[in-house]
Amino acid sequence: MSFLRVGAIARRIAQQFRRDRRSLALLIVAPLAVLALLGYVIRDTKPLDTRLGIVNLAGPPGAAAASAVQVAAKLQGIPVVDVGTDEADARVAIRQDRADLVIVLPPEFTSSSRVVELITLGEAPTDDGARIQAVVGLVSQVGGQGSRPTIQRQTVYGSASATVLDTFAPALIGFFGFFFVFVLTGISFLRERIGGTLERLLATPVRRSEIVIGYSLGFGFFATVQVALILVFALGSINVPAIGPFGSFEIGLGIANAGSPVLAYLVIFLTAIGAVNLAIFLSTFASTELQIIEFIPLVIVPQGLLGGVFWSVHSLPDPLQAVARLLPLTYAIDGLRAVLIRASDLSSSDLQLDLAFLAGVAILFVLLAGATIRREIA
Amino acid sequence: MGVTNLPGGPPGLDSEPARPVIEADGLHKTFGTIRAVDGIDLSLTGGRIYGLLGPNGSGKTTLIRLLAGLARPSSGSISVLGTAMPSRPLLAKIGYMTQGEGLYAELSVWENLSFFAAMSGQRDPDALREILDIVELGDRRTAPVVELSGGMRRRLSLACALVHRPPVIFLDEPTVGVDPVLRYQFWDHFRGLAAAGATLLVSSHVMDEADRCDQLILIRAGRVLDMGTSDEVRRRAGTPDLESAFLKLSGIPGMDGSR
Ligand SMILES: Nc1ncnc2c1ncn2[C@@H]1O[C@H](COP(=O)(O)OP(=O)(O)OP(=O)(O)O)[C@@H](O)[C@H]1O
Ligand SMILES: [Mg+2]
Repeated sequence: MSFLRVGAIARRIAQQFRRDRRSLALLIVAPLAVLALLGYVIRDTKPLDTRLGIVNLAGPPGAAAASAVQVAAKLQGIPVVDVGTDEADARVAIRQDRADLVIVLPPEFTSSSRVVELITLGEAPTDDGARIQAVVGLVSQVGGQGSRPTIQRQTVYGSASATVLDTFAPALIGFFGFFFVFVLTGISFLRERIGGTLERLLATPVRRSEIVIGYSLGFGFFATVQVALILVFALGSINVPAIGPFGSFEIGLGIANAGSPVLAYLVIFLTAIGAVNLAIFLSTFASTELQIIEFIPLVIVPQGLLGGVFWSVHSLPDPLQAVARLLPLTYAIDGLRAVLIRASDLSSSDLQLDLAFLAGVAILFVLLAGATIRREIA
Repeated sequence: MGVTNLPGGPPGLDSEPARPVIEADGLHKTFGTIRAVDGIDLSLTGGRIYGLLGPNGSGKTTLIRLLAGLARPSSGSISVLGTAMPSRPLLAKIGYMTQGEGLYAELSVWENLSFFAAMSGQRDPDALREILDIVELGDRRTAPVVELSGGMRRRLSLACALVHRPPVIFLDEPTVGVDPVLRYQFWDHFRGLAAAGATLLVSSHVMDEADRCDQLILIRAGRVLDMGTSDEVRRRAGTPDLESAFLKLSGIPGMDGSR
């Protein structure tokens, strides 16, 4: 292994990016723009139709709270439906699409210790989030003044977490970490193949491993810069005070993050290495840039749909779950959620599995990529 | 451009019969049903320029790729500097200028050159400057390749192939699109490299270039038609010039040099 050569390949990729500012901008600005758009949109979503159910399991103090909520709901024009008298009935009502959200006043509810459960379907986090936003105001009506009631979120499917954006952000970070590096590497390597530079490169004593590692480092570096910026943007938040006609606003999404950004980084780095080498491998099967773009529906879209960006993997039908468990993005997203939401560290077996799988995928794709860079190119 | 008849033969190797630098034995390369190289034996000695002539599709590029270790022969064997090809470490001693451009369009002249220099293990920046002056691109070193003219790109491509001062040099149509003055200088440079002991195999369609080679290898449909000095080839064909010799050897009727 010659570091001179590996370094030269990685540096050349950086030089090409410097000349191709537009791709660099795509790599960095596009994910931020999408994330920002999504973040702000999710936060400001108008309330959807919300059919509210109320279940009181707390006896008389609960009954008072329940009627307070009911009155407040009427005032806000939120329809209240009958969902039965216990939690199981309520879940059935949601599953059968007779209600969208159920407020449960659990047995431990008292007027001094106010605990409230919110049950949603858990299928579309955006919808759930919007509905919860809509009823949070109602919930604070339970039982007069004092501190806000404690809200416990539950979902019929999947698992509930603090806010919608929290579940989305890690998924998007994982998705972007994979997507852009995949497309850019694929096109870049294809150009090496058809432009004759790979032929030239292979006429030098370079090793295949040096090419693959050089590429991984070169694109890994940019993926890394990209993800670092996304993480800062997603986790940080700066308030810009009002200036003239503009109201004050926040830069950054300020998502509450529990775990270590360094671990999040490791997850995404492994993901990016896998993406780089998968792209090198697949570029063998393309002869034009357009055909690289055609890999997007094949490689990116299924991962986007099944990997847990929109629906949690557990909520998928069994056959699709099996597929999802083979996709690197599933593990990338789970790893990022583990770190950022569940505050997992390296002692968590979930995160260990995610990292091990991603590392395994990266190694597999490195080998595949290496196998396609033969001195005998046709 | 005048024809310079420089004496052939490796310098300083006259005591013992020189060991061939490039040897090929019964080389075949097929692509599906196409026999691109169809039974070629070669034995090329150091310090000489070999001209590889043949019509389009005759197998010149394929032969060079085989010799440079970029493709595996369907059958037959190759050794370069006594090492069986393909051999990765030996590639450090080979310079290969591809027929296609093979440059990074968005990178500058200098960036391209230093990249391929690094790949070939050349660390000496003086070597880069020197070869850039030879191809007369010293004043364009910061220009991106997209802004170069076609001939300039060929020149840069040549520089990239020679930057590590390889003793074995394969040039696939190196002077296409290069102006006559510079072409003349290129051949002087090739001659200098050969005089210093390098072995060059240069494919070309230009007959006056062929006249500047020590030895010619005429191929057609993957087979060698004739091999020898320009004079020998003409004599054997019984034609006054190379072009008609070539046409005659190719078996094209009515083309026996009576033009
Ligand atoms: N990778 C390949 N796959 C299939 N056929 C090939 C391949 N490379 C070369 N050939 C075929 O082999 C034959 C010889 O091609 P080659 O490129 O060696 O010719 P050439 O002498 O260099 O021609 P030119 O003067 O046009 O450069 C041609 O018929 C060509 O179509
Ligand atoms: Mg050719």
